[in-house]
Amino acid sequence: MSLSILVFLPLLFALLVWFMPNDRFVRNSSLVMAVFQFFHALFFLPGFDSSTFALQFVERSMWVKTAGIEYFLAMDGISIWLVILTNLLVPIIILGSWTSIDKKVKGFHISLFVLQSTMLGTFLAMDAILFYTFFEASLIPMYFMVGIWGGKNRIYASMKFFIYTMFGSLFMLLSIIALMFMTEDQQGVMSSSIVEFYKLNIPFVAGEFLSTQTVLFFGFAIAFAIKVPLFPFHTWLPDAHVQAPTPGSVILAGVMLKMGTYGFMRFSLPLFPAATEYWGWIFLVLAVIGVIYGALVAMVQPDMKKLVAYSSVSHMGFVIMGIFAMNVEGLTGGLYQMLNHGISTGALFLLVGMIYERTHSREISDYGGLAPAAPIFTIFFIIVTMSSIAVPMTNGFVGEFLIMLGTFLAYKPFVIFAVLGVVFAATYMLWMVKRVFFGPAGKIVNEFKAKGVSLDINARECVVLTPLVLLIFWMGIFPNHFLDVSDASIKHLVKNKNQYFLTIKDSKEKDTKYSKLGQ
Amino acid sequence: MPILVKVINNNKEPSSLFTTIIPVIGGGLSAFFSMAASLYILGDPEIKTSPLAFSGALVMDGISLWTSFIVAIILCMIILISKENPYTKGRQFSEYVFLLMNSAVGMMIVAWSNDLIMTFIGIEVMSLCLYILIALGNETRNSKEASIKYFILGSFASAIFLYGIALIYGTLGTTYIHEIIQGARDMISINRVFMLGSAMVVLGFAFKVSLFPFFSWTPDVYQGSGTPLTAFMATGVKVVSFVAFLRFITTNILGGDHSEAFVTTLQWLAVITIIVGNVAAILQNDLKRILAYSSVAHSGYILIGLIVAGADGGQSIGASGVIFYLFAYAVMTLGAFGVVAVFEKDADKPIMVDDLKGMAKAHPYMALAFAIFMLSLAGIPPTLGFFGKFYLFAAALAEGFFWLALWGVIGSVISVYYYLRPLVVMYMYDEEGMPMADQRAATRIAVTFMAFLVVVIGLASEPFYTKIAASVLSLY
Repeated sequence: MSLSILVFLPLLFALLVWFMPNDRFVRNSSLVMAVFQFFHALFFLPGFDSSTFALQFVERSMWVKTAGIEYFLAMDGISIWLVILTNLLVPIIILGSWTSIDKKVKGFHISLFVLQSTMLGTFLAMDAILFYTFFEASLIPMYFMVGIWGGKNRIYASMKFFIYTMFGSLFMLLSIIALMFMTEDQQGVMSSSIVEFYKLNIPFVAGEFLSTQTVLFFGFAIAFAIKVPLFPFHTWLPDAHVQAPTPGSVILAGVMLKMGTYGFMRFSLPLFPAATEYWGWIFLVLAVIGVIYGALVAMVQPDMKKLVAYSSVSHMGFVIMGIFAMNVEGLTGGLYQMLNHGISTGALFLLVGMIYERTHSREISDYGGLAPAAPIFTIFFIIVTMSSIAVPMTNGFVGEFLIMLGTFLAYKPFVIFAVLGVVFAATYMLWMVKRVFFGPAGKIVNEFKAKGVSLDINARECVVLTPLVLLIFWMGIFPNHFLDVSDASIKHLVKNKNQYFLTIKDSKEKDTKYSKLGQ
Repeated sequence: MPILVKVINNNKEPSSLFTTIIPVIGGGLSAFFSMAASLYILGDPEIKTSPLAFSGALVMDGISLWTSFIVAIILCMIILISKENPYTKGRQFSEYVFLLMNSAVGMMIVAWSNDLIMTFIGIEVMSLCLYILIALGNETRNSKEASIKYFILGSFASAIFLYGIALIYGTLGTTYIHEIIQGARDMISINRVFMLGSAMVVLGFAFKVSLFPFFSWTPDVYQGSGTPLTAFMATGVKVVSFVAFLRFITTNILGGDHSEAFVTTLQWLAVITIIVGNVAAILQNDLKRILAYSSVAHSGYILIGLIVAGADGGQSIGASGVIFYLFAYAVMTLGAFGVVAVFEKDADKPIMVDDLKGMAKAHPYMALAFAIFMLSLAGIPPTLGFFGKFYLFAAALAEGFFWLALWGVIGSVISVYYYLRPLVVMYMYDEEGMPMADQRAATRIAVTFMAFLVVVIGLASEPFYTKIAASVLSLY
């Protein structure tokens, strides 16, 4: 049970894939390895102690001693579900791309495994520089994934994605370095471990934009806001999503966007509580604008994939709202919604990809009357739609409800607008469902009927979608199975956000330096 | 030695393998000895003052040993690459190697010199050999033009540099660095002539390391010279010039009462160099010109570290950042030029970015190595280039040069665009690329070694950085 193995096993897989002979073999063995990795990740659940907020499965050793950079991996209630989500999506993607990725199969699986490694590293790193390393390194495989297997405009989209994200994260790097010098000033030893960062006393002057805490807060926030993406930094997302191949979109929506929201929870809130409280309204406003704007733009999209992409902007706005509500309900909802979004939007992208693979069209107007022609597909699509628009009994409902509850407790006016977002979400999703699946048979359905080819999905694709659909109901009906695990961590984050600290489970070291004086 | 054999053998060219192996062994030994000596010096706390030679003109401290280590490695790699490159192989290869090694000796003198006159001599030894080397190229026209251009501009810069030394000697009565240190702080506050002299010396260095506004020769000369020589200039010349620059700038010339203007000017130079280098590189299509402009931009980053090292109350953090970055930069750039050299077929035909099409499929390992170098130059973790930038920016923030770090960061973002372009072409287009000329095993070995260094030292930068940080202490 070692987190290092969990993080670097996919990298080893990637290396193995490099030496594999043919495409078939690559696909089969990749699937086996990814499933193995998923169960490997699940095995961390029984050993995880959900009654404490302390870091668990800690691995800690020095990496660069002069600068105090550590190799520090650990898991807590905030990261555990994201880790499992990542490992769940990878085998699904491999199976889902069985036929849709038909060139450079080997390279694709290498990228996917490298990406998996870096994403896991991002969620598990407890050292800021290590986090930054994984955060940046994850761009490279994603960049290749969009750029090699993407659509017509893929090179523009991948370039924009890379430069945009890197622009944000370099500000984060500067902020991290500044924090490292602060640890040297205040504790005598330079360190970049997040645990040490939490002990810092970062001066804050309300209303003054150039006070240390505010500047650092925005340095981190810009990196995460671009990654999430928060309105108005979202413009790379529709490009990347539309151009990316289906598996790329799934992993992008499912996991990579969460790196941003996870960053807000791990860094911004606990490190800069005063600045978050003071400037948080900016993010709430942007989040609400994102929710409504994303929904409105999604409504007028003629392209299904673009519609789903803009719905991502809208959903991630909800997550940010929950996080910046800064109470237990909001944060729990935010975390839950991260998982929901990963599952339901991931599933939507898979569904759109499946139909695109058959018809080579994503134009909504080309379809119509698909329901009789592809009944199983329709059932799956409608279930996922229900999750996406947060119908009770599905996971989306739990998440959005908690977020609204949290926001209502903290900032009442925002909820009015957020509710509008929910209504719009129902509108654009259901309207798309109506135009695609019902009504008179459209161009494509007639064409396929004339050819006598079935449009419905096959057994492999059912296997791909079933776990996601099961999760949608499981998470919607028994949310506590999931929430209980994260509960301690989130309660601790809300309760002690002004003197946040993280302890290491089973460690003998009794640290008494938690006090953040002067706040 | 090979040239000796040639002379003895009645001007008959010895086998190129022999000509390659002997100097590579020599370079390897030199690298080994300098590393061993630096470990010995650092390991022995008894040695407080660095030994001097030639009545104080040369100094053997941690920095000079590190630099000679870097130069020796560069030399070995360049000889390996040159053996097979269409620009340099062939008839006059033993002369070529002889001049290359002479030039490397000049570089080491620059790095070891404790005396501005000695620095000047070193620079001249190094440059004169290079002028001839460039003109020796097998290719027809560009190399002659590059040689003349480099010669004229280089002499001009040398003259300014020498004049600056004269002014410093006129005011302070010495050209020894360790004596300038004692007088510089007071002198720069009261004496305008000394200030002018220092400024001229700085200008001379600015030309050698191609800082704005003295960078315009760089792309032309880099493009015109044979790729191995370009790599040699881009790494060796730049490394040692920056080391000499570092020695000069840590003489407290930035610490006087009226030095604020000096510091401000240097800061602007750094910022503009970064911007100009990066923006100009975006507009290029020739791979060598891209790398040339990228080397201009990297000079800007290194200047950030130099300013930190020289600023009032400057700490060793700036200097160690500079030396580490120089090391990182040399490895990455050498590797990148090495890959270019692998693909050069004809000396008269430059390699365009679009020529790399299909390379990922035809030569997966070389493509991977090139991708590593490009990502490292762009500063993506966990490569060597990232840690280089990390230490530099950390130094800038530690000394309060917040804006410099910010501009460095912005420059890095811009640079991502052109560093990724070759990757796009290599991996994302489906067309067939041009076939490779021949196998070029030696060049491949050099490239693989560099790629290995980039990754491994990137992951384990700690021991290197500690050693460098200990060795720069002798400056202060």
